[in-house]
Amino acid sequence: MNVYALLFLIAGLGLIGWLTARARAARFDRGPQKRLHSLPSQHGWYVVLWMMIPALLFLAVWNGLTPGLVRQAALQDPAAAQLSDFDFERDAVLSEARRLSEDPQATGDPLAHQLSHAVGEARSRYKWIGTAVAVLLAFAGGAFAFTRIRASFHARTRVERGVMLLLLVASLIAILTTLGIFLSLLWESLRFFQQVPITDFLLGTHWSPQVIDAADPGASLGAVPLFWGTFFIGAVIAMLVAIPFGLMSAIYLTQYAAPRVRRWMKPILEILAGVPTVVYGYFAALTVAPAVRDLAVSLGYTYASSESALAAGLVMGVMIIPFVSSMADDSIAAVPTAMRDGSLAMGATTSETISRVLIPAALPGVVAGILLAVSRAIGETMIVVMAASGAAKITLNPFESATTVTKQIVDLLTGEAEFDSPKTLAAFALGLTLFVITLLLNIVALRVVKRYREAYE
Amino acid sequence: MSSTIVPTVPTGAHEPAERAPTDWRTQSMQKRIRRRYAAERRFRFFGMAAVVLSAAFLAFLLVTMVAQGWRGFTRTDIAIEMNFPAIALPVTAAQLRSPAADLALAGAGLENAVKAAAAQQFGEGGDDFISDRAWVKVRDAIKADPAILTRTVRFAVPASTKIDQGTRNGGEPEFRAAAARLQAAGLLSRSFNGNFLTASDSTDPVAVGIWGALKGSLLTMAVTFLIAFPVGVLSAIYLEEYAPRNRWTDLIEVSINNLAAVPSIIFGLLGLAVFLGSWQIGGVTVGPLLPRSAALVGGLTLALMIMPVIVIASRNAIKAVPPSIRDAALGIGASPIQVVFHHVLPLAMPGILTGTIIGMARALGETAPLLLIGMRAFMVTPPGGFTDPATVLPVQIFLWSDEVSRGFVEKTSAAILVLLAFLLAMNGLAIYLRNKFETRW
Repeated sequence: MNVYALLFLIAGLGLIGWLTARARAARFDRGPQKRLHSLPSQHGWYVVLWMMIPALLFLAVWNGLTPGLVRQAALQDPAAAQLSDFDFERDAVLSEARRLSEDPQATGDPLAHQLSHAVGEARSRYKWIGTAVAVLLAFAGGAFAFTRIRASFHARTRVERGVMLLLLVASLIAILTTLGIFLSLLWESLRFFQQVPITDFLLGTHWSPQVIDAADPGASLGAVPLFWGTFFIGAVIAMLVAIPFGLMSAIYLTQYAAPRVRRWMKPILEILAGVPTVVYGYFAALTVAPAVRDLAVSLGYTYASSESALAAGLVMGVMIIPFVSSMADDSIAAVPTAMRDGSLAMGATTSETISRVLIPAALPGVVAGILLAVSRAIGETMIVVMAASGAAKITLNPFESATTVTKQIVDLLTGEAEFDSPKTLAAFALGLTLFVITLLLNIVALRVVKRYREAYE
Repeated sequence: MSSTIVPTVPTGAHEPAERAPTDWRTQSMQKRIRRRYAAERRFRFFGMAAVVLSAAFLAFLLVTMVAQGWRGFTRTDIAIEMNFPAIALPVTAAQLRSPAADLALAGAGLENAVKAAAAQQFGEGGDDFISDRAWVKVRDAIKADPAILTRTVRFAVPASTKIDQGTRNGGEPEFRAAAARLQAAGLLSRSFNGNFLTASDSTDPVAVGIWGALKGSLLTMAVTFLIAFPVGVLSAIYLEEYAPRNRWTDLIEVSINNLAAVPSIIFGLLGLAVFLGSWQIGGVTVGPLLPRSAALVGGLTLALMIMPVIVIASRNAIKAVPPSIRDAALGIGASPIQVVFHHVLPLAMPGILTGTIIGMARALGETAPLLLIGMRAFMVTPPGGFTDPATVLPVQIFLWSDEVSRGFVEKTSAAILVLLAFLLAMNGLAIYLRNKFETRW
């Protein structure tokens, strides 16, 4: 049976369970004290929980297991003896067999045709087993719960405990995701570091994954140029744009602008943060990069690249402006007005008050905001994928091309590559590095705020 | 200065020496004041310049996109004359009324007839002037009114990309000249390209549309919402209302805050490794858990990405509900679960929804993680379900942006306009909700 139909069926059974249990609880003999411990609908929910949760859990596990079981069954088939020993080819034939079992009219590999019968049979068998067990579980759970409800039964306590468990599971998903990210990155990176020494990767200065020497894969997988490019574009060029513009915008909007202007300009600046990065990337590649190249040529660089670090960094900086400005805005607003008024009363001009009183007082917040902005810039992908180059160079010239970690991850994983080669695994090692660096930047930013923030009032 | 207000208190001998008041009228002081005021004006000007330049950049971006993109919604039409009696298509009136009219007209060689007509009118190579899909328009006209088969009719059919580029002095010189000639003869016109909103990807820029990608985006967003919203809200409720303060809940809290700052591309790597990698469970190798490049995987990956955003927004909204509401509900005998689900959650809902819409807007514009999980294939048919191969709007934009040389520039910009329109609508809705339901306790 179709998964959606099955889910629908189980939900329907749950509804019937809720209605019958509620109707039954409503007609309970209330006894001498005339009051039930639980409301009728809570009895209903108790039955629903027992009907749906075991069945759904089973389905989730079963759906994960079925492909493996089908595969196992297909390999038992006599025709499977002709299968190639190579995992890759075997998987290709098996997946073709699965397609053929759904659509016998389609054409395909003759071996896949022979296997498709076994595959189709195993699939329908496991599907029916799954359906039967799930429905049976729903009925068994429902019957168990139904026999337990009576006037003295504390359904509310049970249901609420179930709800609490659900809430707890929901919040554990965050930890599981973090753990999943870390473990999957670590796992693939370890496989990478088995083939390439970690020192070669972290300290090597030559990056050219297109040609990897099988004898010494580490020689062309040195990531230092990538780290430099990421730092140069994200932390230097982008910040040279974002910090002055963001900070000055925040100062102007909080200290000088009329409330009406502020009410309009703040959301307009925030739109900058809401524009999808792919749009910025397109804009950078199509409009900004040629302009930057023309500028470079007019300055006398004849070999100026149209995929310069400057174009990507400039556009990225613009994207980050609202981020810096709203962080600065918040921390300037947190400085007590009394300090500002005091400084003004002493005869300082507004700009003197800002630069000598407000900014020093708000500095921890501003610094934390800048660190977070850097972390965001070095993780930014689409702008550099579309506007930066793939050539890894260590250079200080912003008109030259530079590449970044994120750009390389996309390049490594979107080509036609097998899953086990050092080339593909290198992407995960780069991902791990990026993850660790951004995590550290965040932790440092939080520390800065916690430790140095002046506690006013 | 040294005289006291209260006469009985003597002024001591150690009182600081009386200072002469600052004479503000001296030249040096006036100069200093002028300098300070000039610095003040300069500073203020820099602040204003920063704001104006940032806004100008946004305006420049939007104007560039609109200027390039509006052409994507229009197309160049070229007039051709079809002398149907001379062509004598082998179709009968009964066939045209039947549901198989499309098939009958295609089988009767209408496509070649249209091409031949173009070649006849525009000379050698004239069939390159019309789009490959030009005959569809003729077909639809015949189906709408079979009577036109008895006379000569003039049609405005879509021109080919080369002619379309030629009208803007782009493309190959030979077609530029042809376009100028046709323009002079009054055979070219522009019309609204409704096809752009209803068709899918294609190799021909004249025939492409965004419907396939848009549908993929909608399916992906549906998965993202169905997972991220309940999980995000439930965990926010737990952390804000029930969680005991201990090491475990601190760990959950720190994880959520860190997840919100993880670069999006890392989530693509997670999706690739976890949902699409192969796993060993009890000795059985489980292949990709989920189908490749499907809306389901994309939605799951994006759901993990925006869940922290929803959790943080929901916690703030729940925190803003005053304790007196909880106390009152508890006081009349509600259980802690009832307090939250009957009282706190409904009051916090506008704030939660605002945060969710902002998170969904972010997911809608996200590209990088979806590239990694393979949602970048060339897709001619729109996805039929959550498990079909699909692509999404931002990825479609990315793919078209690589085709600058083949006249996809205006299509890319037009797709960007559609995406921006969606995002603005979502953000507008969020702002509207916030203003409408904002409560001050």
